[in-house]
Amino acid sequence: MGSISTAFEAHQIMSEKNTLIAFTGHFDHLLTTLLLLNIKNKLSALESTSGIDRKVYSILVESIENVTKHSSKGDDTQNIAILLLSKSHDKYTIVTGNHIMNDEIPALKEKLEKVLKHNQAELKQLYREQILSKRTDDNNAGLGIIDIAIKSGNLMQYEFKPLTESTSFYLLQTEININKPVLSEVEA
Amino acid sequence: MKSLIIEGTEDSPSVKFDVNSGQFVIGGKSRPENTVKFFTPIIDWITGFYAKKSTRIADNPPVVFVFKFEYFNSISAKYILDIMFSLKDFISEGNKIGIEWHYAKLDDDMLETGKEFSNMVNLKFDFIQH
Repeated sequence: MGSISTAFEAHQIMSEKNTLIAFTGHFDHLLTTLLLLNIKNKLSALESTSGIDRKVYSILVESIENVTKHSSKGDDTQNIAILLLSKSHDKYTIVTGNHIMNDEIPALKEKLEKVLKHNQAELKQLYREQILSKRTDDNNAGLGIIDIAIKSGNLMQYEFKPLTESTSFYLLQTEININKPVLSEVEA
Repeated sequence: MKSLIIEGTEDSPSVKFDVNSGQFVIGGKSRPENTVKFFTPIIDWITGFYAKKSTRIADNPPVVFVFKFEYFNSISAKYILDIMFSLKDFISEGNKIGIEWHYAKLDDDMLETGKEFSNMVNLKFDFIQH
């Protein structure tokens, strides 16, 4: 429930966690575009010399698009998703969360587990297979997760928190190291 | 055939396929709301460009395709790769087509993606850092 004290509490928690962006609501295309523009400017001001801003940005985009893809059908009030971007001295952390129908969980879990157990070379092979396969929604969703895994060095975690008998909240966290960026294995 | 010019936006690429200079540039940001709707006319234009050209392929002007992306999402990646596969077909028919892959200094991911694409379509790219 909205009140002065809950808003203050939320603000304090976010300050403690060094939150750069916290958004909750329904992610439509226009809003996502505006949000991303704001984040992009923030990131490039913070990371003008490291170049990591582009990595964080592109992982963010895939994370948000992953939310849009997996959001459970239904009216907008049930589609309240969350996005958090925070920065500590050595890493950025992106967390997204959205409602999902329970019957979609097994397939998604399988996809995530498949990606998480792979190393960088195997992920690139998986990326190739996905991008060269036929264009279906299912494959596109897979490609996004693989892309996040490759760019972050596979620093992903996920969780499904039960909400109702038929729905859960799907949380995906990705960390991006600042000091040890994922360097390319193949030299230029 | 007329040049293909599309203004870039906050979520879709800019396209400047200049038939007079032979410089075909696509770049900027790519996460269009409707990816199929955005990329299909571009791929059709390229197909049309080579279909209408001289029956003597050797007479077709040399063209350089410049990929100059700041960012593209994973769905756009599929379409960018589609463009490259169609270029490969026109090259194997004997057309002279060069491919440049531009990336920002420190953007290892963009460079890596370019190398992956080059391997997947089995075509040599010129990598240009900014």
